Amino acid sequence: MPLPVLRIEKLCKSFGNTAVITDVSFDVIPSEVIVVIGSSGTGKSTMLQCINLLLRPTSGRIFLEEKEITAPGVNQDNVRRQMGMVFQEFNLFNHLTVLGNVTIGMVKVSGIPAKQAKEKALQELERVGMAEHCEKYPAQLSGGQKQRVGIARALGMDPKVMLFDEPTSALDPELTGEVLAVMQKLAAEGMTMIIVSHEMGFAREVADRVIFMENGTIEEQGIPDQIFSTPRSERTRKFLSVIRPGKSV
Amino acid sequence: MQAFYTMLQFLLPGLGVTISVTAIALCMGCCIGALMAVMRVYGGLVAKAIAVCYSMVVRAVPVVVLIFILFFVISEFVDLSPFMSGAIALGFASGAYQTEIFRGALLSIPQGQMVAARGIGMSRAKAIRCIILPQAFRVAIPSLINEVSLVLKDSSLVFVIGVPELMRRAQYASASTMEPLLAFGTAAFFYIMMTLFVSKLLEAVEKRFAISF
Ligand SMILES: Nc1ncnc2c1ncn2[C@@H]1O[C@H](COP(=O)(O)OP(=O)(O)O)[C@@H](O)[C@H]1O
Ligand SMILES: [Mg+2]
Repeated sequence: MPLPVLRIEKLCKSFGNTAVITDVSFDVIPSEVIVVIGSSGTGKSTMLQCINLLLRPTSGRIFLEEKEITAPGVNQDNVRRQMGMVFQEFNLFNHLTVLGNVTIGMVKVSGIPAKQAKEKALQELERVGMAEHCEKYPAQLSGGQKQRVGIARALGMDPKVMLFDEPTSALDPELTGEVLAVMQKLAAEGMTMIIVSHEMGFAREVADRVIFMENGTIEEQGIPDQIFSTPRSERTRKFLSVIRPGKSV
Repeated sequence: MQAFYTMLQFLLPGLGVTISVTAIALCMGCCIGALMAVMRVYGGLVAKAIAVCYSMVVRAVPVVVLIFILFFVISEFVDLSPFMSGAIALGFASGAYQTEIFRGALLSIPQGQMVAARGIGMSRAKAIRCIILPQAFRVAIPSLINEVSLVLKDSSLVFVIGVPELMRRAQYASASTMEPLLAFGTAAFFYIMMTLFVSKLLEAVEKRFAISF
């Protein structure tokens, strides 16, 4: 059993008196692809944001490569740099070109010289098939292209793990394919990823493990075949029948 | 026509002073405005309170009063020429208005920009500097054009402490030639030309830096 890249231990998060995440624990091993599913409002985004400390967990511990990142005195900016985050709404920097979006983190955060950063950024853009658009501004791109740039921006920081929060939910159906293809390629290259998604076909094909979340906690997890064909929990069954109407479970 | 030309020549040095006073005031106001707006939007309780007070007090006090305070009170303690007193007073005044301009611009930047900046490991301060402010500046351009022409006109107020800008020279010319219409008309002509020039220039800047979302 290889050492986990990420270990989440009894993670809890409340906003005021409302508990949104309760007692979530799981390990992520190198190159593992985890797809998190669950209905809207169950705390999937909150969990991802706690994992890279965009939100401060109320309690629980998180380890990145054996180092506890929730310990007091840890440089949180440095933690975030080591985890790539991809957002549903892309959140590209509107005033920067595609190339600028990818280089700014390398230059301003990692301190890589501009020329080197540009070369590396072009490589990352090549990886997502966006190198030829490097001079364009976000407003000139389609949704699928924006998201691929969002992925390249995260890759540019050499993350130890990539977190995706519904990367295709804001896209027109005909544009989801190009983004899913990029993610599938990353998976094949051995990138460690946690992906919140409603793309069940993608989950079935690419995930090593599927986690079903309900009411801020892990209701069931397992390999895709098991979750999709023989779910143990009644709630999982119910969720799957709603999200994939017509397909018998 | 000859008289108008002579008057133009007489007022011309004042034009330079007017432009310098305006430029200093705008730059100072821009720094103060950007800083105060950031304090207001992203600062803690104390920073917020300071920014709110500054904006409220300075906007409540007439610019002429600010000019007199700097010239008669502050220049007792620090060595300030009338020119600098006037420019700095206008800068403080413009700073308060630019605070409001930048505050609105900062608030218009989508929340996701900050989240994404933090997501690649930027500190809050770095995110504000590298991601939020550059976008806010672009959003603020139309209001800043307006502010430039307002400060340009307000700069005429420094004539009260004897700064030889356009208005002061026009007043002098009016008294010595007994032709107020010619003197102030020519001054007005200069102000109109400057305002036209500024709005054309900044329109070009706006086109160049426009971002769409
Ligand atoms: N900043 C916040 N303050 C208060 N409640 C929040 C906040 N963020 C999320 N929530 C609540 O937490 C719950 C889970 O939200 P979220 O993590 O976005 O769910 P999901 O991503 O699974 O749809 C929701 O009920 C939401 O209203
Ligand atoms: Mg969500």
